[in-house]
Amino acid sequence: MTHEAIDLGQVQSILQRHQGEKWGLIPVLQEIQEVFGYIPPETIVPVADTLQIFPSQVQGVVTFYAGLSTEPKGRFVVRVCRGTACHVKGGRSILRFMKGELGLEEGETSPDYQFTLETVACLGACFLAPTMMVNKTYYGRLSPPKVSTILKQYEKEE
Amino acid sequence: MEHVSLRINGVNVVAPAGTSILSAAGENGIRIPTLCHHPHLEPVGACRLCIVEDEKSGRIMASCVTPVASGMAVQTDTPNLRRHRANIVRLIMANHPESCIVCNKGNRCELRNLAADLGIGVTGLYSMPRYMRLEEANPFIVRDLTKCILCGKCIRADHDLVAVGAIDYNRRGFESRPATVHARPLEKSSCTFCGTCVSLCPTGALMTKNRYYAGSPQREAPTLCGFCGVGCSLVIGSTNGQVVEVNPSHGDQTVNRSTLCVRGHFAHDYLNASERLTSPLIRKGNGLEKVSWEEAMGLVAEKLLSIKAKDGPQSIALLGSSKCTVEENYLFQKIARVVLATNNVDNGGALYGRAAWRRLEERLEGGGRVKPLSDLEQAEAVVVLGADPTQSVPVLGYHLRRAGRKRAIPLMVIDPRKTDLVAFSSLWLPLNPNSDSELIHGIAHILLKKGWYDRDFVKSFTEGIDEYRASLSSLDLERVCAVTGLDAEAIDEAAGLLAGKKIAFVLGHGASTQRWGLQVMDAVVNLALMTGSLGNKCSGFYMVARENNEAGAWDMGTVPDNLPGRQFLADRTVRKHWERAWRTVLSPDPGLKLDRMITEAEKGNLKALYVMGENPVRALPGSRRVGRALKNLEFLVVQDVLETETTRLAHVVLPGAPSSEKAGSFTNMEGRIQSFEPAVPPAGEAKPDWEILTLLGKKMGSKDPYRSIEHVRYEISSLVPGYADLAKSRGTAWVGEKGGAKLFTLGGEGSLLAFSPYAPVPFEGPDKGYPYQAIFGSPRCHLGSGTRTAHSARMKEYASEGEVEISQEDGRLLGIEDGDTVMIASVRGALQRKAVLSTQIRSGLIYVPRAVSGNSAASLIPLATLGGAGDTGSNVVSVKIEKGPGS
Repeated sequence: MTHEAIDLGQVQSILQRHQGEKWGLIPVLQEIQEVFGYIPPETIVPVADTLQIFPSQVQGVVTFYAGLSTEPKGRFVVRVCRGTACHVKGGRSILRFMKGELGLEEGETSPDYQFTLETVACLGACFLAPTMMVNKTYYGRLSPPKVSTILKQYEKEE
Repeated sequence: MEHVSLRINGVNVVAPAGTSILSAAGENGIRIPTLCHHPHLEPVGACRLCIVEDEKSGRIMASCVTPVASGMAVQTDTPNLRRHRANIVRLIMANHPESCIVCNKGNRCELRNLAADLGIGVTGLYSMPRYMRLEEANPFIVRDLTKCILCGKCIRADHDLVAVGAIDYNRRGFESRPATVHARPLEKSSCTFCGTCVSLCPTGALMTKNRYYAGSPQREAPTLCGFCGVGCSLVIGSTNGQVVEVNPSHGDQTVNRSTLCVRGHFAHDYLNASERLTSPLIRKGNGLEKVSWEEAMGLVAEKLLSIKAKDGPQSIALLGSSKCTVEENYLFQKIARVVLATNNVDNGGALYGRAAWRRLEERLEGGGRVKPLSDLEQAEAVVVLGADPTQSVPVLGYHLRRAGRKRAIPLMVIDPRKTDLVAFSSLWLPLNPNSDSELIHGIAHILLKKGWYDRDFVKSFTEGIDEYRASLSSLDLERVCAVTGLDAEAIDEAAGLLAGKKIAFVLGHGASTQRWGLQVMDAVVNLALMTGSLGNKCSGFYMVARENNEAGAWDMGTVPDNLPGRQFLADRTVRKHWERAWRTVLSPDPGLKLDRMITEAEKGNLKALYVMGENPVRALPGSRRVGRALKNLEFLVVQDVLETETTRLAHVVLPGAPSSEKAGSFTNMEGRIQSFEPAVPPAGEAKPDWEILTLLGKKMGSKDPYRSIEHVRYEISSLVPGYADLAKSRGTAWVGEKGGAKLFTLGGEGSLLAFSPYAPVPFEGPDKGYPYQAIFGSPRCHLGSGTRTAHSARMKEYASEGEVEISQEDGRLLGIEDGDTVMIASVRGALQRKAVLSTQIRSGLIYVPRAVSGNSAASLIPLATLGGAGDTGSNVVSVKIEKGPGS
């Protein structure tokens, strides 16, 4: 995927705050993701240099965590729960419905970068099953009509 | 150390506290199966095959990561454990492709061996290999991650042994695999192709790439690497006498343990080159014709003796080799001195600043030579001066990177160029070329002024500090800043880092071959004496030796003014000793040095030259001039393993054998003398060089019949100071040190080591009309002038064209862009290369790699720079740069 050149100055200001912090890797990566929406690959070497570790180690951590991504994501990241409780309560049909509504498969991002669809092993809100999250907001006791209503509020204003 | 007792399989065992159950079991002869474990790597407990069972609780634990505890009782081979192990192996096998037929690991595959041990034939599981793309674009390593079992040995070796960090685990679970940054192919990553991971990989996921499928080698035999002064222990795998694989020998006491570098691991394919010499040749008419050994040796003996009779012994010179063995160099100089009665004997090590090393040795009165590299990681502070070890002597580079990576000790890099080591250093001092001695005196001045020096050491073992202090009063720190191009704060910081520490100095050819090499040695010795950095384990001088037997050839007296044991020819008592031993009369005239051999041949004074294992036409500065001089000779004999630029000029060519094809010993930069046996037979009719020399001696009437290499070793042991242990050693001995100084003497008697006074060196910028300064260096893929490495098919395919590094500012100024062709010219010659704009070099300087393009870098360098006072050095040359044609 191609993307526009990023502003490395913003990365530098994050790095300056964490200079020499031995255990600063994950906070640094989270801050970078906060700013850019993802971890731009060109930030890996500067991060490694600042924390005095190998670039390969930085990338190892980035690719390990589902919460960190080296690819740009949509403005709204939808995470549908695939935990046991949600599964029993019909989570699978919610996911199928969601795929249809967004026109996306799991892990895909819409061309206009509005939505990314992901699944997670458990959101930890089983009493609300079936559940999903959009960015940091939880939605529970889902049904197809409810999903439609929720998605509407995140759609791009024309 | 505290010990604990425990019971393993019902046997009472005592082990040091903190050791793992696995190693305690191993120490007591109990073998526990493993896949991810290696004694040279930190255990991680990834494969779980080393499980053991607690007798009391039935608890199962991974023995590689569980320390022994007092009163512990474990079983290592119960039915329960076997069942668990079998399941683990079955699962790995179900995830593994069934491609064993064409897998190079073959019967050496640890997974396959384990499956056999556990009696698993068919897994009974649904096979689910995760096919990945085979990666084999580079000429060294075939990477088939389908076969990866995620033991992490490659990653641990990469991070903890060679400290390169090219790969790490990526992703998670089933998708997990080792990967480079941005998952690029190895050749586009920071991988240095040291191949350490290949040797450690338990399966066929990482394999040596050969030009054809070779399978497992038929035979594996230990030998030594001859590609630098470190002296790594190797195992050479051969099939039908051809080298197909090289691995480190994995010994605990070897200098390299489980590591190697790209040369040691992959350049040995030069042995299979079509340019190998396989029979003696004699010039007949315009060409060289194959002849018998008898005919060739007869002609050599007859010609040398007749020239000696006609023109005198001074008209014959012999060029020995820092690549040939200790035994061969001993025989070689003995033939020169005893049979031909000339001291005109030298070796290729003359190119690497012998005069400077000699100054260092004189100042220390021959002490402090034994310096194991393994001590470097325990040093209090390390100063790397004029050395780029990660390129030139990579295994030393690994030690330094490991030392620097922990950030526990100051590692200071003093080099005009930003070498790879700078990223691991605490301080980099990018000084002007040839200003090192001023910088070191400047640091010493600050330490003395602030009282940061070792008073007790200075009082007990040295003399003349007051004179040194007085001479430093003429040192002006502002001038030091001006000469070195560094600011005062940087020099202060350097002094602060070294204050109160014992320093390990790593000295490279940037120090020993520069204009003021002798002064640099004087300065560093003063600094070492002042800081008490001598006579103890983890400090002192580590002198980079580029050639595998640079130290040994010198020790054996293959130099014009030293007899064996580095004893001075000029010393009458020394001469008497050797005259008695050799039953001869020795000429007291110092012979010709390497560079003078060429100038005397030019003048026509030198009539015959016998070259063993050197390629002066390629290696010496000014190859055209050297070629012309050699053509001027009446008789040129070249004994070598490959057809070279020099053999093409020879009247007689004798095919010698490389180290892997003969027995012998090398002395490495640590002062370790390592003996080895042949790993493969010599190619064709080639003979070990020592055998050729005994033949030659016999033909010329020598009375010493050496029947075996042991015979030669015995003579060396009994006669050469420092080599007494050679004959009785089983593989490894250490050079005995001269004990003149009190510091290096056990009894506390002896002389005091003297400080030398400070004398400023003049500040010299580039010459007029040549506004840039070229620095020369050795690229990792090549050794020396590249005679052997350039014949390696892998190196030919991979190594760059030797781009000249130019700073970005200069590039802009000259309108040069990446990939443009440039002409570099000095007073002596010119070369044409591609340029690369680099951030590793600063404006005004350029970096020219040696060895590549026929070692064309040598055309820029003056010939008369090989040691001796008043020379101009050979590591920095004033040049001009022009944009070349076609860019």
